[in-house]
Amino acid sequence: MKLYEFEGNDLLRREGIPVPDYALATTPEEAREKAETLGLPVVVKAQVLTGGRWLAGGVQTAHSVEQVEEAARSILGSSIRDWPVQQVMITPKIDSVREFYLAVTIDEYHGTPVAILSAVGGVSVNRIAMERPETVASRYVSIIKGLLPSEARRMCRGVGLGGADVSRVANMLSALYGVFRNYDALIAEINPLVRTSKGDYIALDAKIEIDDDSLYRHPELNLSLDSRIPNVLERKGREIGVTYVELEGDIAIIASGAGLGMASMDIISRQMRPANFLETGGAITAELMYNVMDLVLQKEGIRAVFINVYGGINPIHEGAKGVVNYMKEHQVTIPVVAKALGNHQEETWEIFQNNGVHVVSDVSTEKGVEQLARLLGDGK
Amino acid sequence: MSILLNGETKVLVQGITGRIGRVQTKWMLEYGTKIVAGVTPGKGGQEVEGVPVYDTVAEAVAERGAEASVFFVPPGAFREAALQTIDAGVSMIVVITEHIPVHDAMEIREYASEREVRLIGPTTPGIITVGQAKMGIMPGNMFTPGRVGIISRSGTLSYEISINLTTAGLGQSTVVGMGADSVVFTSIPELLRLFEKDPGTDLVVIVGEVGGVQEENAAQFIDRWMTKPVVTYIAGHNAPEGKRMGHAGAIIQGEHGMGIPQSKMAALREVGVDVAMYPSEVVELVQRHLNHS
Repeated sequence: MKLYEFEGNDLLRREGIPVPDYALATTPEEAREKAETLGLPVVVKAQVLTGGRWLAGGVQTAHSVEQVEEAARSILGSSIRDWPVQQVMITPKIDSVREFYLAVTIDEYHGTPVAILSAVGGVSVNRIAMERPETVASRYVSIIKGLLPSEARRMCRGVGLGGADVSRVANMLSALYGVFRNYDALIAEINPLVRTSKGDYIALDAKIEIDDDSLYRHPELNLSLDSRIPNVLERKGREIGVTYVELEGDIAIIASGAGLGMASMDIISRQMRPANFLETGGAITAELMYNVMDLVLQKEGIRAVFINVYGGINPIHEGAKGVVNYMKEHQVTIPVVAKALGNHQEETWEIFQNNGVHVVSDVSTEKGVEQLARLLGDGK
Repeated sequence: MSILLNGETKVLVQGITGRIGRVQTKWMLEYGTKIVAGVTPGKGGQEVEGVPVYDTVAEAVAERGAEASVFFVPPGAFREAALQTIDAGVSMIVVITEHIPVHDAMEIREYASEREVRLIGPTTPGIITVGQAKMGIMPGNMFTPGRVGIISRSGTLSYEISINLTTAGLGQSTVVGMGADSVVFTSIPELLRLFEKDPGTDLVVIVGEVGGVQEENAAQFIDRWMTKPVVTYIAGHNAPEGKRMGHAGAIIQGEHGMGIPQSKMAALREVGVDVAMYPSEVVELVQRHLNHS
């Protein structure tokens, strides 16, 4: 789960990394009041869960209360990469004499944390790594031992830092590793960390994403889903415990696994257009399948439903009951085609067949999709 | 012949007294798996399907000689269970459990690798050495014994590919679900190395999907080390950027489109691997190779 910048700031502060004071506002008037309290000049920043805020005009400096209102008015209600801006953060403008980039993330292939440091901050680290590789250092970290202070200092010297920067930036990197570990982060990034003319080190932006599978042990974060998944159906999917991704077509897909769901998308896309990707994972019950039928049919203009399930860990005969109950109660008249194999397959076929579901008799998804295309009569 | 598992492997089931653990133990036994013990803390002394249950892994190892363990433990209990199992001297752990915190997975990966314990998963259907034994949840009726090895990032797609091969008369040696999380314990190249050495395997099918760099690393390994033919299918041709497609590891990320299937397919084609565009095409490609040899 991605955190808003202000939420990230709070975590950095808890781990001892200085961040500027801030206030939040949802209207231009509120922004003006908050800016007066904080003291001008200020920076007005869109709070959205995506990058690209600078380019989209989502970060503006204001030297007067009129400018604050104007900035907030132009940012609130705008959209940045399809994310509607509902809230801005107002923070005193900090003058920096030097900027750094710090991150701790995961090298997924090697299954280990990696710390990244650049002596150049404020811009895309990928670009800096290509253009000035000598200013970027990255290092695998033993998750059992943690990031040792000596390793952090070596990274600082490695990118050419000297003087007070070495120990101060190394301390910040160690503290950031603490954020990463203590909150089960997938990424914890500060871009930029600045040194002010007074010699203070302050984090001016925080990008943090928490592992969804660890949220159960972080009640202290008190995170709600509502504003984080803007698509209503995707949010509903999450609430009933399945993955739903909305696509642009009109053939609904229900699969009992992610790979099977993606393969179904690949095959359907040859001649038709998938309306969604949906995978149930291993928790199929009659109730869950009833709910997923309800979910995929909430999208307008669905022409057919393609169900593709395996009975491995899933009791697919139970799932079939949920599907047909839904169809009866809601008088579903569009074609529903189901391919079901594995444990309890015969029982599953019988339930489907007796209730108007077209059962795929072949073992391949391709044949199932051909059957669906024939039922729709056009295949286009 | 096979990799990782055979009919003689003495298997332990952890989380055996849970709803899923019980059902799957029954099916694994019916398939022929030599299950010697189960473990659920606090349930020692019970039996499940005739299998004795112990409180600790150390007891199960000492009294029943368990050498490989399959995990049906809840995600929050994974870390402690894994530490205990590694310390008890079990040589392989197959982690069926989904939704394990990724930090716990990284910690156990490092701990196990220092002690040379093989872990498979997490979020895997498990391993089946066809006709002999299975450690996992895959339905046995999808498979028939033969000489095709399969490595799959997806559980359900490993069933789909297997039943299609089975229907075409092409049997499998061992089918390994390698796990669908962003961090998995054993990579595709490590599994390819085992299949390359296995005299019972003539050809390997890799079932990949969007996200990560497993397939790209597999291509490098194949180029350097594989003499046996490899056929692949990569799922998710049109997956949208930035969305997790059900699996934690199945996501196209960032401005450079890391994890897109097209780059995986290109990397594999470049080293001479046959890439199927759709699952059933895998059957034709496998047939073509095996008829030639």
